[in-house]
Amino acid sequence: MKPAPGLAHCMMLTLLLGSSGSLAGAIGVLLTFSVVVGLYGLCMRLLRPPLTERGRLVVSVLLAATLSSCADVLAQRWFLSWQQAFGLYAGLIALQCVVLEYNGFWRLTLVERGKRCALFGALLLLLGILREVAGSGSLGRTPSETWQGIVLFSEGLPLIGLIPGAFIVLALLLAARQALIRRN
Amino acid sequence: MNRRASATIVLLVAIGGIAATYLLARASAPQIAAAQHLLDSRKWLDMLAPESYDNQPLQQPLSLIDTRLAHSQLSAGYRATLNGKSAAILLRSQTQGYVGAIELLIVIEPNGRLLAVKTLEQRETPGLGGHLADRPNPWLQGFAGNSSDAGWALKRDAGQFDQIAGATVTSRAVIDAVHDALRYFDDHRAALLGSGT
Repeated sequence: MKPAPGLAHCMMLTLLLGSSGSLAGAIGVLLTFSVVVGLYGLCMRLLRPPLTERGRLVVSVLLAATLSSCADVLAQRWFLSWQQAFGLYAGLIALQCVVLEYNGFWRLTLVERGKRCALFGALLLLLGILREVAGSGSLGRTPSETWQGIVLFSEGLPLIGLIPGAFIVLALLLAARQALIRRN
Repeated sequence: MNRRASATIVLLVAIGGIAATYLLARASAPQIAAAQHLLDSRKWLDMLAPESYDNQPLQQPLSLIDTRLAHSQLSAGYRATLNGKSAAILLRSQTQGYVGAIELLIVIEPNGRLLAVKTLEQRETPGLGGHLADRPNPWLQGFAGNSSDAGWALKRDAGQFDQIAGATVTSRAVIDAVHDALRYFDDHRAALLGSGT
């Protein structure tokens, strides 16, 4: 299969939209994502050569499930309030690993892979910042509510904080990108 | 040969993965329970001033009787004490909001006045009834200091309290639940306060 350009066909949308409701969620999911996908890449690199095609699918699923469950347990242990708020989406990273395995991501060069991860990370953080500011009027609120974050304005637009709002913000970002490309 | 090697790797990864997850979950269970407990007590007890009690209220749940009230149901009760004297009673109350169940934590002083109300769980419409979960919450703070004989109803129902804009059902449910809890306290004052007073 030929690797698709950019982030298309990476199925990162659920993770991207679900966890970008606030900056804290976006940062946490991004960190978990880097650790789990990094470890997964290393392990699969060692295991891939002797495996048959069917064996590769099973190992990929098992490994992804193991790594994301362990990450989830550790998150519960050290960051329980964060885990209760965003753990659902962090679990989707397992699915993401399997999708990456089959869309040719690991056949790309290291630079190319780095670029995609950076693009994903930047998009996730940008969405997180925009949605939290527009949705609640503050930035950096922690899930345990020990800190209310930097309050920029008192009333936000709650829709933006919800999943449909994530689609709207993402669509606006894409439209802005298209407009920039067309002008150049 | 290739098939066999592949099958062996699959088996090893399966065993290794299950063992690693199981061992990690087992090893972390006490820490997770402790973290959960800390989170609960922070969530539940932050309405009480730290110097106003010296026991661990959540460790000693009260046994409540007749917990089905007129508009709500009590699911748990706790007593905060200072030097053996009751400092506050915490009642966990569940009522039906506009969208779903609302869980409130209602803190009552020994003299029967409301100390504070806090929303523990709610699924009301974001932007309308969802304001119930805001903190600080001026609407819920407005109830403090009232006892069960205040006009516990919305102004539109000839009571003394404002409502959350656009969320009459939610507001009514919360006010009724708080009123229920205060009346319950009046009716069971001796049992709730125990021998501490």
